[in-house]
Amino acid sequence: MAAVSSAGVDTPRISTLILQRRTLAIGLAVIATITLLAVLAPLIAPYAPNKLSIVNRLKPPSTTWFFGTDEFGRDVFSRTIYAGQLSLLVGAAATTLAAVVGITLGIVAGFFRKADGVVSRIIDAMMAFPDILLAIALVAALGPSLATVIIALGIVYAPRLARVVRASTLVIRELPYVEAARALGVPTWRIMTRHVLRNLVSPILVQATFIFAYAMLAEAGLSFLGVGVSPEVPTWGTMIASGRQYVGQADWVTIFPGLAIILTVLSLQLVGDGLRDLLDPRLRKDL
Amino acid sequence: MSRYVLQRLLGMLTVMFTVVTIVFIIVRVAPGDPAAVMLGPDATPADIEVLRVRLGLDQPLPIQYVYFLAQLARGDLGHSIFLDMPVASALLDRAEPTFFLTLFAILIASAIALPVGIMSAYRRGGLFDQSVTTLTVLAASIPSFWLGLILIQVFAVRLGWFPVAGYGGPDASFLTRMSHLVLPATALGVVSSALITRFTRASMLDVLNDDYVRTARSKGMGELRVVMKHAFKNALIPVLTVIGLTAALLVSGAVVTETVFSLPGVGNLVVSAVLRRDYPVIQGALLVIAAIYVLINFGIDMLYLMIDPRVRY
Amino acid sequence: MLRKLIIAGLAGASMLAASQAFAQERGGVVNVATIGELTTLDPMTATGDLLGMVTQHFFETLYTFDKNWGVTPLLAEGLPEVSADGKVHTIKLRQGITFHDGSAMTSEDVVASLKRWLEVASRGKLVAANLDKLEAVDDYTVRITLKQPFAPLTALLAFNNSAAVVLPSEKIAETLSEYVGTGPYMIKERKPDQYLQLVRFDGYKSREGEPDGFGGARKQYLDEIRFVPVPDANTRVEGAIAGQYDYADLLPVEAFDRLNGQAKTEPLVLKSFGWPMFIMNNKEGMMTKPGLRKAVQAALNSEDMLAAAFGKPDFFAVDGALYPEGYQWRSDAGVEGYNQGNPDKAKELATEAGYDGKPIRILTSRQYEFHYKMAQVAAEYLKAAGLAVQLDVVDWATLVQRRAEPALWDIFITHSPFLPDPALIAPLPASYPGWWASEAKDKLVVELNTEMDPEKRVAIWSDIQKLIYDEAPFYKVGDFNALSAKSPKLGGFTASAWPYFWNAHLTK
Repeated sequence: MAAVSSAGVDTPRISTLILQRRTLAIGLAVIATITLLAVLAPLIAPYAPNKLSIVNRLKPPSTTWFFGTDEFGRDVFSRTIYAGQLSLLVGAAATTLAAVVGITLGIVAGFFRKADGVVSRIIDAMMAFPDILLAIALVAALGPSLATVIIALGIVYAPRLARVVRASTLVIRELPYVEAARALGVPTWRIMTRHVLRNLVSPILVQATFIFAYAMLAEAGLSFLGVGVSPEVPTWGTMIASGRQYVGQADWVTIFPGLAIILTVLSLQLVGDGLRDLLDPRLRKDL
Repeated sequence: MSRYVLQRLLGMLTVMFTVVTIVFIIVRVAPGDPAAVMLGPDATPADIEVLRVRLGLDQPLPIQYVYFLAQLARGDLGHSIFLDMPVASALLDRAEPTFFLTLFAILIASAIALPVGIMSAYRRGGLFDQSVTTLTVLAASIPSFWLGLILIQVFAVRLGWFPVAGYGGPDASFLTRMSHLVLPATALGVVSSALITRFTRASMLDVLNDDYVRTARSKGMGELRVVMKHAFKNALIPVLTVIGLTAALLVSGAVVTETVFSLPGVGNLVVSAVLRRDYPVIQGALLVIAAIYVLINFGIDMLYLMIDPRVRY
Repeated sequence: MLRKLIIAGLAGASMLAASQAFAQERGGVVNVATIGELTTLDPMTATGDLLGMVTQHFFETLYTFDKNWGVTPLLAEGLPEVSADGKVHTIKLRQGITFHDGSAMTSEDVVASLKRWLEVASRGKLVAANLDKLEAVDDYTVRITLKQPFAPLTALLAFNNSAAVVLPSEKIAETLSEYVGTGPYMIKERKPDQYLQLVRFDGYKSREGEPDGFGGARKQYLDEIRFVPVPDANTRVEGAIAGQYDYADLLPVEAFDRLNGQAKTEPLVLKSFGWPMFIMNNKEGMMTKPGLRKAVQAALNSEDMLAAAFGKPDFFAVDGALYPEGYQWRSDAGVEGYNQGNPDKAKELATEAGYDGKPIRILTSRQYEFHYKMAQVAAEYLKAAGLAVQLDVVDWATLVQRRAEPALWDIFITHSPFLPDPALIAPLPASYPGWWASEAKDKLVVELNTEMDPEKRVAIWSDIQKLIYDEAPFYKVGDFNALSAKSPKLGGFTASAWPYFWNAHLTK
């Protein structure tokens, strides 16, 4: 892969720094609110998410139904916050899986020269597949379900993390005190946990936030295509997919889950940007 | 230099080989006997056995793998079950809309991203820069299919400016076919402009601080000239890289966008193939798309080499 | 110059005077948005309304249906001469009919085609066991000799899916590689997932007289008919509104208000279009238990399912009878088993049947959005009765493939138009996926098929309907009307369960 020109430390103006912190704060606040809404859905939701009410089909937003009702007369607001549980769960679980696999692969590749060749080739090859396409193929191979979507997205995004981790590990292992520790005969696993992992926290955190955002977009895409989670499982993606039929007639069925995705992904990306600037200004230009 | 090229070529081949292996594994993991899937419900167990033998499915996996490689080496991507045609021709049939969709999306994304990225780097920290930064993050947060649905509603259904779906009939002229791509390319272009904008901005920031730009400035060159002639020219290489990579990644976005707009492209083909359990098509499409990505990457590396022969990394 | 002016003037005058005559001028291309791509264009080996709708333009049968659903000859000269014992059917063929490849149609082609139909078509197989002899008497006469009288034979021969179409004998193969028929249109080009392009067949010999339903004369006003697969229902609606499709098939009924008052399209409602049904797997798995089938029957609330699927009450009727008002076959026998929506009774029945908590696998497709919606409502009602449900949502083509595999599903959803003869009802024969087999049924079906007295047949059918509610091999959800959209420019077109575009024309 072509590398980006070496990142020079640039001195951001104070205003930019404040702005970045502010976006970080805003991003965190929004994502926290969304998560809270989703987690507390059973307390907040005015209706049960799957409560059918055929007579109240496709009612526009009102004080009775904040976001209107869908084609089954289900409350779109209740469904949107309930769907948040699963959408966030898919994003979080896929990110965790990607992190576990990616960190392991990345450290192994970065730390052990012999393994690097093989692992790096696999990472390169995995990155050659466009994310949605690889996820589609994996879900097709594993059979569609909530779990397989998580696994597929975890596999898809693991190489992205692995690459970042590998690059950082390569730098860290040459650091004087790490070399010193090695020379002193500190066991490898201790060097790994004590020095390497600790130094990796920032880049991993930043990268994971973005992966979280991408995984949520990808889940929505898969569900929209009908190759993701079963359409009866309410996620924001499946809500848009089934509301698609009513665009132009009952826009609220697609608009609100769409806005939920945008807001969540947006805040995650703001957090990612903010974290990057906060934790490691040198990573600024890595995208 | 030739050693470097050789090294990169070898690297590319290894990656390609790994890609093939991954695809082989994914398809073998798929549930169901491929032979039974291919023959459909009316097949007798005897028919299935015959096909298993013919496809080499009765062989142990390593031998199947060798067969698979041999088949690929002959340029044979397999045969579609549902469409009853070679996968290669099915892919070729669908190549045009995908190619032009990607091309237009890149053009639209670059047309937005380059000026905006340069401007916001130049006016770094200002109101424009701040708004742009926020907007690009916003654009990158919109699911392209959602944007597509809205574009269809406004520009195709309400205003009637563009076709709603498809790629024109049997006698559709090139221009008609392209008119079918305006909305999908816009949806895709806007969403992917974010990445290019951020990259352009970052690269410009990099070079704006470089000595030679400072020198040019101190020599009293006009600001615009400094920006365009020196800074942008040098920022161009990384920007081109990201454009190239975005192009390859756009195929991903194209998968969803093509489905929204019922465009008969490669992405749409893959999605239908998944719904139809047409494994040879999924396999072939994955291989070809990954191969294109690897080739683009190799091309970019070679481009670097041509521009700057000192590149070694 | 003067002459030209006069001609132009005359043309203008006649245009005003006889817009009707001008409205039916030849020419034009129609784009027909269909619900999806077809696996095959062979209407013998496969069934399905879409297949019938498309292939009837290039393949023809010996008989077809007139506008009152009476059987009327198409490639046959007239209705068959039936011997007094009801066993020998002699069919005279029309002369001078040519196939799209230019060869003439003779009894040899018809016999070869019928042979294939008896072997491979699900409806042909119904006749095969009963067949004594199939022979060509002369170049234009075919004789079918049966072992037992079989009342629905002519209706079966007239049907357009699992259809007894006539193919040139030399083109007949296990798998058709060329689709050569006698129809008014022929295939020019097929691009999967993009279009099927049909063009006028200049060698077509139409019947004399006026069009009459699928029968009578078939006029070839249009130059071309293009079937465009558009699996997404909303895209069909939007394409119709934008004028991209001259006809859009099977639209979600909610779209009615959107289609109304549009410039480039108008809604087209077809009353009593058909009836959706949940077919249960009577061959393998948990639904083979009669008690569990009855539990599902007791659990389902048709009214909610229909309302969710079709929206406005104008678009559906909560009716358990298998034929709506106005059909001679109408009967109320057994309908108390319909629309119970009783979770407690269902729970009880399921427990009695030894239900073990395994999920009921409902196989459905989103190509017909209403199937999918009914499935979702049904799932809620089944869950209320303590039954677990797993929705397997695939595309229609896959569903058709999978439903043939008894191990893969417990219930699948399909729908049928109201057929002119109950013997044609798809899930009746034990060969149809669902595999309903019972002694009581076999006895009644044999009676229905061999009885030649129409009134007695109605009574037999009423008994069969009662049996359907007793044994619950499938569940009829209700009646529905269908919504399609057509361009105001498309004239001479009649709404139908299998829309056809001969006789249709475009006005300028």
